[in-house]
Amino acid sequence: MKRRRKLLRNEEQQIESNEETILSCSDELSGDLSIDLGFIHQEIGQNSDVHVRELRIGPRNIKAAIIFIDGLCDLGQINNNILSSLMSVEDHECRDNELQPPLKELITAHKLSVGKVTETTSIKTLTTDIMIGYVGLLVDGMCEAFLLDVAQAKTRNIEEAQSEPLVRGPRVGFVENLSDNTALLRNHGKTQDLTIARFQVGSRIKKDLAVVYIKGIVNPELLEEVKQRIQKINIDDLPESGYVEQLIEDNQYSPFPQIQNTERPDRVMSALLEGRVGILLDGTPFALIAPVTFNMFLQSPEDYYERWIPGTLIRMLRYLATFIALFGPSLYIAFSSFHQGLIPTKLAISIASSREGVPFPPLIEALIMEVSIEILREAGLRLPKPVGQSLGIVGGLIVGEAAVQAGIVSPIMVIVVAVTAISSFTLPQYSIGITIRFLRFVVMLLSAIYGLYGVVLFFLLLCSHLVKLKSFHVPYLSPAVPYQLNDLKDFLIRAPLSMMKRRPKFMHTQDDKRK
Amino acid sequence: MSKQPIDKITTPQTVVIISNFILGIGILTLPRTVTEKVKTPDGWITIILGGIIAILVAFIMVKLAGRFPGKSIFQFSKEITGKWIGAIISLCIILYYMALASFELRAMSETTRLFLLQGTPNWAIILPFIWVGLYLITGGINPIARMFEIIFPVTVLFFLLVMFLGIKVFEVDNLRPVLGMGLGPVMKGLTTTSLSFVGFEIIMIIFMFMKEPNRAMKATFIGLIIPLVFYSITFVMVVGSLTVDGVVTQTWPVLTFIRSFEIQGLLVERFDSLLLVVWIMQLFATFSVCYYAASLGLSQMFKKNINGFIYGLAPLIYIVSMVPKNINEMFEMGSMIGNFTLYFFSSVPVLLLLITLIRGKKS
Repeated sequence: MKRRRKLLRNEEQQIESNEETILSCSDELSGDLSIDLGFIHQEIGQNSDVHVRELRIGPRNIKAAIIFIDGLCDLGQINNNILSSLMSVEDHECRDNELQPPLKELITAHKLSVGKVTETTSIKTLTTDIMIGYVGLLVDGMCEAFLLDVAQAKTRNIEEAQSEPLVRGPRVGFVENLSDNTALLRNHGKTQDLTIARFQVGSRIKKDLAVVYIKGIVNPELLEEVKQRIQKINIDDLPESGYVEQLIEDNQYSPFPQIQNTERPDRVMSALLEGRVGILLDGTPFALIAPVTFNMFLQSPEDYYERWIPGTLIRMLRYLATFIALFGPSLYIAFSSFHQGLIPTKLAISIASSREGVPFPPLIEALIMEVSIEILREAGLRLPKPVGQSLGIVGGLIVGEAAVQAGIVSPIMVIVVAVTAISSFTLPQYSIGITIRFLRFVVMLLSAIYGLYGVVLFFLLLCSHLVKLKSFHVPYLSPAVPYQLNDLKDFLIRAPLSMMKRRPKFMHTQDDKRK
Repeated sequence: MSKQPIDKITTPQTVVIISNFILGIGILTLPRTVTEKVKTPDGWITIILGGIIAILVAFIMVKLAGRFPGKSIFQFSKEITGKWIGAIISLCIILYYMALASFELRAMSETTRLFLLQGTPNWAIILPFIWVGLYLITGGINPIARMFEIIFPVTVLFFLLVMFLGIKVFEVDNLRPVLGMGLGPVMKGLTTTSLSFVGFEIIMIIFMFMKEPNRAMKATFIGLIIPLVFYSITFVMVVGSLTVDGVVTQTWPVLTFIRSFEIQGLLVERFDSLLLVVWIMQLFATFSVCYYAASLGLSQMFKKNINGFIYGLAPLIYIVSMVPKNINEMFEMGSMIGNFTLYFFSSVPVLLLLITLIRGKKS
């Protein structure tokens, strides 16, 4: 024991003074290249994709090294802007064996032709930044390392938003890269008031997240609330913005989405102009919009791009389709098994005669068809496109036809189910579509038990839930309730643009008027 | 006081709550109850006069409530009359709302059984209704107000639409002669019609929630005018179509009136059951306000959180609603509640106001 301690002491004495500081505070760079490289090697050296390229600067042969990750950086830039310029430090630049100007200034100001250069003295920062695509530059004798941003992100081209196609409107959708997305937004709305605040989320895998809003419009309380909820996120990884959505929403037990997701920059921009807040996460093309109200899910940007009369009519059509998608089968069940007297006699007779030979009560009949159409839809979604189409034909046409012929379901039921399914496709947002599809089964069961009374009961329950629901302190059913006369111009109808001069009241924006 | 923060409701919401509360099961029987007393086709004049009386009483209530901003009758009755008498007054009101909630439930259930679900037991209809109401009112006054804002336009528009579909069986002659027997018979029905406006006393409770209390008078006025117009239209249409003699023999004259015509070529042929279906929402509104008012009263009396009382009241309301053995006993229960309302709400607010005025002068 004693001997060992002595040995240690001997070793310590041999180590230079600056190295002592390293040992006491191991996160700092020492300035000695080989020692620092050794530390870095310890930290990330086991990874096969880490490259260390050692080099000499100028005729004085100052030792230096660059460290980068294979594939994350632009090799062309490394070769041309870093390596070649560092290696080509010439004689006249080192007069009297002294570097003129000093080495650090020479490197940053004269030699490195790279846009973003940051300095660090911490090994930890250095290694983490190298891991996300920076090039680290270490120079012998300097306690600072340089981090050079020559990241070459693997992105795809900007394409039309797959989940929200429009006939008329910009053919632009977000991509997976956050800075591309913020740039898209800036491009779309060239105003200096557009503010982008960056956050880091995820405790293990750090992801960039941007909160975007328009200064001067957004309600500061709302902004504070959004930021607070984002900072409270505590999870090791956020692979998609759906994680963010679920972690910051108001009521996680509600079947209704309380934050909107979209791939369209124009949609985000118009939401921002209404005083909402956008949330963009790195690695996903889906941006989030909060707070959201129910009617937003039934609106499409096209309502505004088209003239107001078609815009209004199409919007009303969508409300009708939502109603059918939700209540279609349950009304059929109620009328055909409880209240035949309510519908015209001829219709009642034709329903009854078409149901002749069908062995099941209307509820089972409806369930068979609804469940199989849901299976069909799910199957079509997960398959490659050409297969999906043929699946639709086989499933929809052939099975439906055969089921009627075999007498398992009645032809009217097939009509009802088909119309319901088509209606549910008119919903411009996938997330609300799922909700409606799910609730449809609940109301079907209730109407099988109680008939029309069950349907009303369900409606009351649904409304009770919706009036209690809030998204970031905004009542979910605004602007329908509470009554806000001005906001009703953009609810069931879409008033002419010249009449919509004010932002939604329920958003409590700083600047009320659209100028 | 409940521990929850006090939410505020807007003036239109106040109007809608008052109107929705007044329009309940009563409108479906109103033409009969009025005509039974008046016995001439002049019931509509009685309705208008009854409405005016109701408005006058409502003004007294608003004046009274206006003297105690931020407090409901459960709280200020204690301040005016002292702890014990105040508690008795509060208890009376709470019991009244409980009974009214039970009555509305049972009436809803009976009509539903009659027109929609023959043979379904009462409990099967009433229980889910209570659950939905419970779910709504645990949210507090704000969701309730928003809910009413949904229910109100839907039911009112549908009701008016159905009424005007009956225009082809309507005959003006059935309403003539106007005042053929003089004002005497008109006055006889005044109690009935005034009672049909019962519900406006809710202003003494929701006043404390109002964002703009200075507009309470206006809100109450509009809130009463809407049912007044409604009642008048209904009475005129129903009596005009079924005649005085026809109305008296019908249990649910409004539904009979709608049954008396058929509209061809629409998806739905008969509108009586459909109207009832839509009107269930209106009954839900009445029921949930009663339920909420009773719970709020208890929570303010015992100074405890309201949620416990909401859950506690549910079985009580259910039991009371199952007390009447048949539809006649149910109507008896209704008239008992009506009599209580008549004597209680015409005297107590006036007395309370007088006491405050006298005391106010003293100090």
